[in-house]
Amino acid sequence: MKKFIDESWLVLVMGVVFAGLLAGAENTFGPKIAQNKRAELEEAVLAVVPNVARSESKPVGLTEVFKCFDEDDKLVGWALPASGFGFQDKIHLVVGLSPDALKITGLKVVDNKETPGLGNKIDDDEWSGQYAGLDAAKEVKVVKTQREIEQNEIQAITGATISSEAVTKIANQIIAEMRPKLDELR
Amino acid sequence: MADENGNGALQQFKDGVLSDNPVLVQLLGMCPTLAITNSVENALVMGAAASFVVICSNMITSLLRPLIHPHVRILIFTLTIATFVTLADRFLAANMYKVSKQLGAFIPLIIVNCMIICRAEVCAIKSGPLKSFCDACGIGIGFTMALVILGVVREILGNGTLLNYRIMPEAFYGTHEWVIMVLPPGAFLVLGIVIGVSNFIRQDKAGGAA
Repeated sequence: MKKFIDESWLVLVMGVVFAGLLAGAENTFGPKIAQNKRAELEEAVLAVVPNVARSESKPVGLTEVFKCFDEDDKLVGWALPASGFGFQDKIHLVVGLSPDALKITGLKVVDNKETPGLGNKIDDDEWSGQYAGLDAAKEVKVVKTQREIEQNEIQAITGATISSEAVTKIANQIIAEMRPKLDELR
Repeated sequence: MADENGNGALQQFKDGVLSDNPVLVQLLGMCPTLAITNSVENALVMGAAASFVVICSNMITSLLRPLIHPHVRILIFTLTIATFVTLADRFLAANMYKVSKQLGAFIPLIIVNCMIICRAEVCAIKSGPLKSFCDACGIGIGFTMALVILGVVREILGNGTLLNYRIMPEAFYGTHEWVIMVLPPGAFLVLGIVIGVSNFIRQDKAGGAA
């Protein structure tokens, strides 16, 4: 017994000391990290709904939606955070809807680990800007070939069809799921 | 070189940067080297985080070395390294959120960077604090330097930027930038060429003596 303690006391003591150190670090940095994540999401909310001055988070089931107001406290739209699988890993995004939930006002990718240079172009505002103005009551479709896009279609990123389709699928799903529930939150 | 005086410590520092460079000579820590050198910013932050960890781990190992039983030493190295990696990871997530997101899992993965455990085993467990500190600084700077060299080449060719400032005219690349340089194949190509060049220079210096 003495032999075991003699040989292991240092590991035990270091374990306790380091655990204390890490707990201290979590206390110091934890709130800041949570705040960073929140700020990132709220920044995306401001980007997807036009004229938004402030937003209120409303819980829906396990997730939340953001109710967006302009400076005169008039409802200007909704922002729906959503996530789903892309080509490599989860894509997190926010979709904006008009106050009557009939039109998509914008889409912003918050976090993605798609292929650099190809799939990660989904966070280009130029590409995601295609969603603004589309009909939220119908499914958005992705066009792969270089043809004129028709109603409720967006052009896929060249060489990144899977990422483009993943974003569209996540957006379609969250819109279909949340639209009926928005009425209760008005 | 193994003597316990100031000269030995200084030599240890120089060796870490040049003749024993962890990336270019010892070929240790290849995983972050290949994975995160697609921009100079990432390379700098990864280099700084790894340097912090190797310095702390070397100091603790060196100071506690009379107490460490040989057969539990690996356990103690790992425990120490894991603690400081977690500290660095949390610190980056709190204060440099964007970069921390780009580096993703590669900051926690510093725990398994064999460059760091190698320094504990080769130097810190049998040397005084001064020499261990110099050794860690040398290795840290050598590692950062190698990452930054790769980062500079890959960011300029792959993105046309340096530290996010555009420095290359768009016309240089034709229709688009050389995306391959930012992707994994670019890492292998650049690393191979850089190691080749560094070997050539070292051989040249050694001259007839070799």
